[in-house]
Amino acid sequence: MTARRVVVTGLGMVTPLGVGVARNWQAMLAGESGVRRITRFDVSTMGVQIAGEVYPLPRVPEDGAVPDLGIHARFALVAGREAWADAGLPGARVDPERVGVFIGSGKGISDLERLVGASKAALGAKGPFDYAAFARALPLELSATRREQEDYYQSGSHVARAVGARGPNWVCITACAAGNHAVGEAFCAIRRGEADVILAGGTHSQVDIMSLSGYATLGALSPRNDEPHRASRPFDRKRDGFVLGEGSGVLVLEEYEHARRRGARLRAEIVGYGNTADCYRVTDPQPEGERVELAMRLALKSAGLAPEEIDYINAHGTSTQQNDAMESGAIKRIFGGKGEAPPVSSTKSMIGHLIAAAGAVEAVACVRALEEGVIPPTINYEHADPACDLDYVPNEPREKKLGHAMNNSFGFGGQNIVTILRRA
Amino acid sequence: MRRRVVVTGFGALAPNGNTAETFWRATCDGKSGIARIASFDPSGFAVQVAGEVKDFDPLKFVPNRKALKVMGRNIRFGVAASRMAMEHSGLLESPPEPSRFGVVMGSGIVPTDVEEVGQAILASLDEEGRFDLRRFGTTGQKTLFPLWLLKHLPNMVAAHVSIFHQAQGPNNTIVTACSASTQAIGEAMRILERGDADVMLAGGSDSRIDPLSLVGYALLGALSISGREPERVSRPFDRDRDGFVLGEGAGVLVLETEEHAKARGATIYAECAGYGSSFDAFAVTQPEPEGRGAIQSMREALKDARLSTDDIDYISAHGTSTVLNDLAETVAVKKLFGTRAPKVPMSSIKSMIGHLIGAAGALEAVVSVLAIRDGILPPTTNYETRDPQCDLDYVPNVAREARVRTVLSNSFGFGGQNASLVIREYEG
Repeated sequence: MTARRVVVTGLGMVTPLGVGVARNWQAMLAGESGVRRITRFDVSTMGVQIAGEVYPLPRVPEDGAVPDLGIHARFALVAGREAWADAGLPGARVDPERVGVFIGSGKGISDLERLVGASKAALGAKGPFDYAAFARALPLELSATRREQEDYYQSGSHVARAVGARGPNWVCITACAAGNHAVGEAFCAIRRGEADVILAGGTHSQVDIMSLSGYATLGALSPRNDEPHRASRPFDRKRDGFVLGEGSGVLVLEEYEHARRRGARLRAEIVGYGNTADCYRVTDPQPEGERVELAMRLALKSAGLAPEEIDYINAHGTSTQQNDAMESGAIKRIFGGKGEAPPVSSTKSMIGHLIAAAGAVEAVACVRALEEGVIPPTINYEHADPACDLDYVPNEPREKKLGHAMNNSFGFGGQNIVTILRRA
Repeated sequence: MRRRVVVTGFGALAPNGNTAETFWRATCDGKSGIARIASFDPSGFAVQVAGEVKDFDPLKFVPNRKALKVMGRNIRFGVAASRMAMEHSGLLESPPEPSRFGVVMGSGIVPTDVEEVGQAILASLDEEGRFDLRRFGTTGQKTLFPLWLLKHLPNMVAAHVSIFHQAQGPNNTIVTACSASTQAIGEAMRILERGDADVMLAGGSDSRIDPLSLVGYALLGALSISGREPERVSRPFDRDRDGFVLGEGAGVLVLETEEHAKARGATIYAECAGYGSSFDAFAVTQPEPEGRGAIQSMREALKDARLSTDDIDYISAHGTSTVLNDLAETVAVKKLFGTRAPKVPMSSIKSMIGHLIGAAGALEAVVSVLAIRDGILPPTTNYETRDPQCDLDYVPNVAREARVRTVLSNSFGFGGQNASLVIREYEG
């Protein structure tokens, strides 16, 4: 039996640059930034006051019918429906049991406001935390469905319900690698014959007060509050941390014969996947990037490709000192130095880091790059860094005929995911 | 070529036992781990019982106190069960090749520490006692443990486990609520079958017995508020069941390709023969009453194992003790198994340990392996009054000796995600 091939037949995305693939791609080629001062809540006393917000929040048909719909599910519904429609699947004859949903997902936002009354009740009088008072006060502020709608799995559930997908439904959270992880595992599942169509992608928002505080305390975020547009600057020598973003990217992956039979437009093909763990520290990447390198090599091997057949690398490129130097080093060991290695760019320079959605949004960008023969730029690249001496497609998009693109995603905690896409 | 996947070790941490063997013995003896909540005073709560892990000493499994500081309770459970599984498989002494060794864990929402967050909120109130984000920025956030974020990322269970055992291969964290760890085992099987690793640690860990989860699940109407003695509250398939009981813990299996296990002379306890999954596409937090998704998941697992319903000797039920789940699961089994359904024993260990959410399927997989090894079917305890609509053989109250070759283990998620495993006696 020849191996089943997996093609991309639909795309959807929502990012700080806007709603829809067309809008996003146009903005990325124009080098726009979606990063700005946070408007959703008061950040005036926070150390970090900037992020890539999706503004305004898109409405979905579930509004009203589903109380407390989480922001992660909202973004996934928007991108999922776009991808489903883009693939020409609404009304198409597909077996719902052969349609799956694989989502790398964050959870909904747990704000502090709803705990205020209960906390005051529990800690009001001096003395130990009064659990009984907490229990009496909390139901006054917490709606019955709120907590359940916040859970990670809701993004997979809502998307599957929206399109009637009864096949495998898989929700993972491997931090910043989750969206790309979903693409890789969906590729394996279709190849193995577990489904014919899978909506694969990622969704996340951590633009909330607790996450902003938590990441800032870890020293991970850029504090460039006075120049939001210029804060995310992957591979630039003066990079000083990542910028939180939010949104979702979803791709319709489909078995090749299935797609051909129904006359679907083939946008790209998934051909390689590699997955490794750093096993170093939960807070930092392994400085030499050995396992990142291994993930790239495994992806090449699974695709049966030589390094010189990769024409573009969409980097993890977070804009932290550590990641960008480590990633550049690992790329050089496989592909050679400047002049030998393919162009590398980070779309995070424009939209920030969408965490569990990042790798999926970047996969969509890779498909568009392969289709159009244009590489999106790394914006805010101003100062060369001796530790990062590759071609990062600085500031301007570049036309180039592309055969294969590699998509890198490395999760906080050490999960490394690499996928390879081929022009259709 | 599809490689065969075998189980060569397991570890467990459960409300009724802190090792796989003590948990298994207690479960066969019908001993409940459900009691009045002891980790905080539950007096004012609508629900005051849960299956808590007792007398757990994380320092037995984690080398130093510093490492423990960034490990929440669920992470500690996962690390402990993984270590016990590694020890059991003999891989602790002779570890596998790091790049061919991976981890997939089921996990989920990590509960907020309400005492810690409560202090931060109190430090953020203005003169009128209103929560003020500006004060959170200046004073409130400083009261938080600086690395609190690390304790709240579900993927940190698999991350810590991979670091402890240098498992540099595929690493994943599945978060599909009640079916998460069954899916984790299924995914680890796939990784081994396709040759992407030789050894995988697969399972799940979860701990949601905290004030916030307890109120949240109770508001949802999911938890039993029967007021019975704690050990009698969880009563899957009984007519008077009225909701589940929260449990906590972890279960981890060492899965290995048959070739790798044989080459190192490992003891093989069972084979993971099939995996299937599906989605209900029905209502939020309710199973499909006709059991269509559940049937699809069981059918796919059997097909994957190249077996039929006739081959199944025992069903490890999802059996949560909610009115709707137990009925839908019974309906699904009856439809799929047809006239044979009443002859296939099906029990739910949730009657003794409660519902461990992201770890539930992992402990049920451990039980499935042990049922095959020892030829014992664990009981469904608290089965007192027959429900006319739930009329199968639930192995009521007393364990039963039986020849068990093949087990079907079910997990059906709150959000509609269903997953089933077929675990078989190993025949070389």
